[in-house]
Amino acid sequence: MSWSALDASLEPPDPALSRGRRRLVLVGVLFVALFAGLGLRLLHLAPEERTAEAAPEPAPVEPLRRRPDLLDRRGELLATDVPVPSLAVDPLQVGDPRRTAERLARIVGGIDPSVLERRLVKAKAAGRRFEWVAHRVSPAAERAVLEAGLPGIVLRTSEHRVYPKGHAAAHLLGFVDIDNRGLAGVEHALDHGRLSALRDAREIALSLDLRVQEALRDELGRAFREFRAIGACGLVLDVRTGELLGLVSLPDFDSNLGGGARPEQRKNRCTGGSYELGSLFKVLSHAAALDSGRVRVGQRFEIPPALRIGRHTIRDVHPARRPFTAAEIFSHSSNIGTAQMVFAAGGAEPLRAMLGRLGLFERAPLEILEIARPQVQKSWPDVVTATVSFGHGIAVSPLRFAEAVASLVGDGTLVRATLLKRPHDAAIEPGPRVASRRTVEDLRWMMWLTVADGTAKKAAVPGYLVGGKTGTADKPGRGGYRRGAVLASFVGVFPLDAPRYLVLAIVDEPKATAASGGTRYGGQVAAPVVGSVIARIGPLLGVPPSDPAVEARYKERWSAMRPTAAVATGGPRLAALDPRR
Amino acid sequence: MAEAGFVRAAPLSVGEKLARLAWPLVALVLLLGLVGYALLYSAAGGSHTPWALRHGIRLATMTGLAMVIALVDIKKLFKISYPIYGVVLLLLVAVEIVGEINKGAQRWIDLGIVQLQPSELMKLALVLALARYFHAAYLDEVRRPLFLVPPVLMILLPVALVLKQPDLGTALMLGMIGTAMLFLGGVALWKFLAAGALAAAALPIAWTQLHDYQRQRVYTFLDPESDPLGAGYHIIQSKIAIGSGGLWGRGYLQGSQAQLSFLPEKHTDFAFTMLAEEAGFVGAVAVLALVVAITLAGTAIALRAESHFARLLAAGVTCNFTLYAVINVAMVTGLIPVVGVPLPLVSYGGTAMLTVMIGLGLLLNAQVNRDTPIPRFPADP
Repeated sequence: MSWSALDASLEPPDPALSRGRRRLVLVGVLFVALFAGLGLRLLHLAPEERTAEAAPEPAPVEPLRRRPDLLDRRGELLATDVPVPSLAVDPLQVGDPRRTAERLARIVGGIDPSVLERRLVKAKAAGRRFEWVAHRVSPAAERAVLEAGLPGIVLRTSEHRVYPKGHAAAHLLGFVDIDNRGLAGVEHALDHGRLSALRDAREIALSLDLRVQEALRDELGRAFREFRAIGACGLVLDVRTGELLGLVSLPDFDSNLGGGARPEQRKNRCTGGSYELGSLFKVLSHAAALDSGRVRVGQRFEIPPALRIGRHTIRDVHPARRPFTAAEIFSHSSNIGTAQMVFAAGGAEPLRAMLGRLGLFERAPLEILEIARPQVQKSWPDVVTATVSFGHGIAVSPLRFAEAVASLVGDGTLVRATLLKRPHDAAIEPGPRVASRRTVEDLRWMMWLTVADGTAKKAAVPGYLVGGKTGTADKPGRGGYRRGAVLASFVGVFPLDAPRYLVLAIVDEPKATAASGGTRYGGQVAAPVVGSVIARIGPLLGVPPSDPAVEARYKERWSAMRPTAAVATGGPRLAALDPRR
Repeated sequence: MAEAGFVRAAPLSVGEKLARLAWPLVALVLLLGLVGYALLYSAAGGSHTPWALRHGIRLATMTGLAMVIALVDIKKLFKISYPIYGVVLLLLVAVEIVGEINKGAQRWIDLGIVQLQPSELMKLALVLALARYFHAAYLDEVRRPLFLVPPVLMILLPVALVLKQPDLGTALMLGMIGTAMLFLGGVALWKFLAAGALAAAALPIAWTQLHDYQRQRVYTFLDPESDPLGAGYHIIQSKIAIGSGGLWGRGYLQGSQAQLSFLPEKHTDFAFTMLAEEAGFVGAVAVLALVVAITLAGTAIALRAESHFARLLAAGVTCNFTLYAVINVAMVTGLIPVVGVPLPLVSYGGTAMLTVMIGLGLLLNAQVNRDTPIPRFPADP
C-alpha cells in the first residue's frame, strides 16, 4: 500500500479528482440529510407514544361512543351500532394456559389452541396483563365462556357497526374499520368531512328512499349482468330539492364487509369517476345554443356527411339524409348538427358560459368525499367547442351532470344535490337562474320528442310524460378512443309537464346481446333501465299521471314541424339528395 | 516494494483481492437482507413460504454473484462498459417492440430465479458507461458544452424508452442517477441550474401537449386523496400502521394492520411500513441507520478510489441503492406519491435485489482496485 501513497504524492494533484471528491462529499452529506428527514417524518407519524412504563397495562379502551344511526327518508334503518363483546384474557391470572387455550378454542372456534397457548405462555412470561383472544364473539359464545368459569377471562363490549340492508346503499353509506372509524361514504364524511358537525347526532335522516334505491339497483343490475358490463351507475334526483333518492354504483359490495371489497367494487362511479358522457351532453349544448337567442327549435340546419374543422373530421353514426330542425338534431342525436348549432349560436363562448353557470368546471359539493374533479380543456379552439358540444373532450362526474340537467329542466334555476333529507317545512330557495323559461320549455319538448319519436323510444312509460336523452360515448384509451368500448347512457325526467324526478343510468362497456338488437347504444341498453325504474317508482312516490292535454300540445307542436313539411320547403336540391323522400 | 513500476503493473492475485475486500460492507448488506427475511416471515403470518425462503435463497445466490463480480479485472470491466450499455439499450428497445406486439404485458425477461427488467439493468449500465466516459475526460474538456452531448444522450435515450413503457418511477430514478453522475463527473454547477430552469420553463408547454387522460393520470399522481379508496387507500393504511407502531412497536408477528391484511403490498413495496408497525420507531430508525451505514461505506470507497472510473462506478451504484431506499421510505410515509419503488434487500422481489447485488459487486470491485491505475483509453499500454 505504501507505494501507491508514494506515487500519489509524487504526481501533481489531479484537479479533476479533487473536484470530484469534494462533490462526492457533498452528495454523501445530502444523502445523510435525506435520511435524517425521513427519520423526522417517522417521528411525526407516531404522535402517541406508548412508553415502556405503560406497556404492562393495556391502553385504556376508548369509551363507548355510538356513531349516529343512519336512516332513509322514511325512517328505515340503514346503519346502526350494536354492542358486541370481545374476548381477552389477563395472562397473569391464567393458571393453566393449555387448559384455558383448549376450552376457549372449543367455545369460540376459528382459534388454534396450540398457537393461543404459546401466546398466553409468552405474555405471562413477559408480565403482560392483557391478551386478545377473539374480536366480536356471539352472545352464545359469551355466555359459554362465562359459564366455563375460567380464571382471568376479560370480556369487553365495543360498538360494532351493522348495516341491515347489506349491499343496498353501500357506496353512499360507505363502511367502517374494525375500530368503527369511517373509511368511505357518509361514514367517512362523518369522521373527516362535511358531515362532522353531525357526529354526535343520535340519528341522521338521509335523502335516500330505500324503495327507490332497491328498484334502481334491481333494474340497473339486470342491465349490468345482461350486457356483461364492467360497471354501471344509476341515480334518482329530486329535481326541485336536489335530494338524491337513490344512487347505485355497480359492482357494489356489502357495507358490513366493506374492508374486503375489491377496488373496483369500492369505486363510486356516480360521484368518484369523471366520464366523457358523449351525446348526453347535448342536453347542455342545446340548452346553451337555444338560450343564446340566436338559434330556434324549428330552425333548419343542413347536415353534411362529414364536418371538417382544421385537421379534424366529425361524422355521425347515422348520417342524416336531409336538413334537420334543431329538435331533430337533438332527437336523432346528430353530432354534426349539434356542432353547427353551437357555432350558429356564437361558438365557444355561449357554450362555456352555460357550462360555467351550471358549475361543470368544478367538483360537485356533495357531502361525501369521493368526488371526482372534472377534466376540461384550458383553451377552446373550434374543434374542442365542437367535440364538447357532443360530450367528448370534457369529462365530468355523472352526479355533476345530473345536477346540470335537473337545473335546466326543472325551472331553469341552479339545483345542488344533497344526501341529507330536507325538513318538510323548509322552503325551497331557488338558486341563481341558469336558463330562460323559454329554453326550459323548448328543452322539455325536445326531450319528450326523443322518447316519443327519437333514439329513446324504449324509455317510454304509459301514463307518464317522459323526456330524456340517450348517449353512446366512445371511451378514451391509450392514444385515442378505443374501438368498441362505449359508455351507454340515458338521462330521463318525469313527469315532463311538471318535472319532479330525474333518473340517470350509465352502463360502462356493455357487450352487444340479442336483447339490445346486437347493438350497444344508450337507447337499447340504458333507456329501458330508466323506463322500468320510472314505471316502478312513479306510483311509489305518488306522482300523478301526466295531463293528456300537455301531451296533445307537444304532439301538435311536433306535427307542425314534421319532416314532410321540410321536404316541401327544402327545395329541389335537397330532395335530390335523398331519392326516398 | 522497491520496484514500484513492476508492482503496479502486476495484477492482484485472487488471494490479495479477497484480503482487500470490504468485508464489513458485505456484512452490513447481508444484515439488511436478513432483516428482509425476518419481515417476510412475519408478512406470511409466521411462515417461510411463500416469500421468506425464496428471499433467502436469492440473497445467498446473489451474494456469490457479487463476489464473482468483485474479483473481475477492473480494466476488463472498463473495456466492456460501452458494449454492456449498448446491449442493455438494445434489450430495452426489444422489450418495447415485444410489448407493442403483445399489446402491453411483457416488459421483462424471465431468468428462472428472477424476472429481469432491462430498465433495472439499465441503471447499472448507465453508471458503467458514464463512469467510463468521464474517466477519459480532462477537466477543461468537461467545460466544453459539446463534450456534454454524448453523456446527456446516454441518459435521455433510456429515460425516454422507460417513460414510454410507461414506468415513471424507474425513469425518474434513471434521470436522477444520470444527473448525479454528471455532477460527480465535474460538470459545472451553473449548467445544472440552467438545465433545471429550462425544464421548468418547458413544463407548461409539455402540459398543453398532453392528452386529457394523460393529464388525469398526472392529477391522480399528484393528488392521491382525490381517489381515497384507490391509490389513496394504501397510503392511509400505511400511515395508520406506522403510527400504531409507536416507539417500540407492537412486537414481532403482532402488527394488526399487517397481520390482518389491512395493509396491501406488505411484502413488497410496503415492507417498511410493516417493519415500523412491528418494530416501532426504534426498529425503523435502526434499519434506516443500516441503510445510511451502507451508503456511507459506498461513499467512502468512492472517496478512496484513485481512478476516476472506480470512483464514479462506486458512487453511481451507491446512488442507485440509496435512491431506492429514500424513495421507498418517502413513499410509504406519504411524503411523495406512490410510485412503486421497493426497499432494496428487504422487499420481496428479485429485480431490485439483483441490481443492488450486482451493484454491490461493482462497488467491491472498485474497493479492491482502489489503487489500480486505468489508462485513459483502453488502447493505451
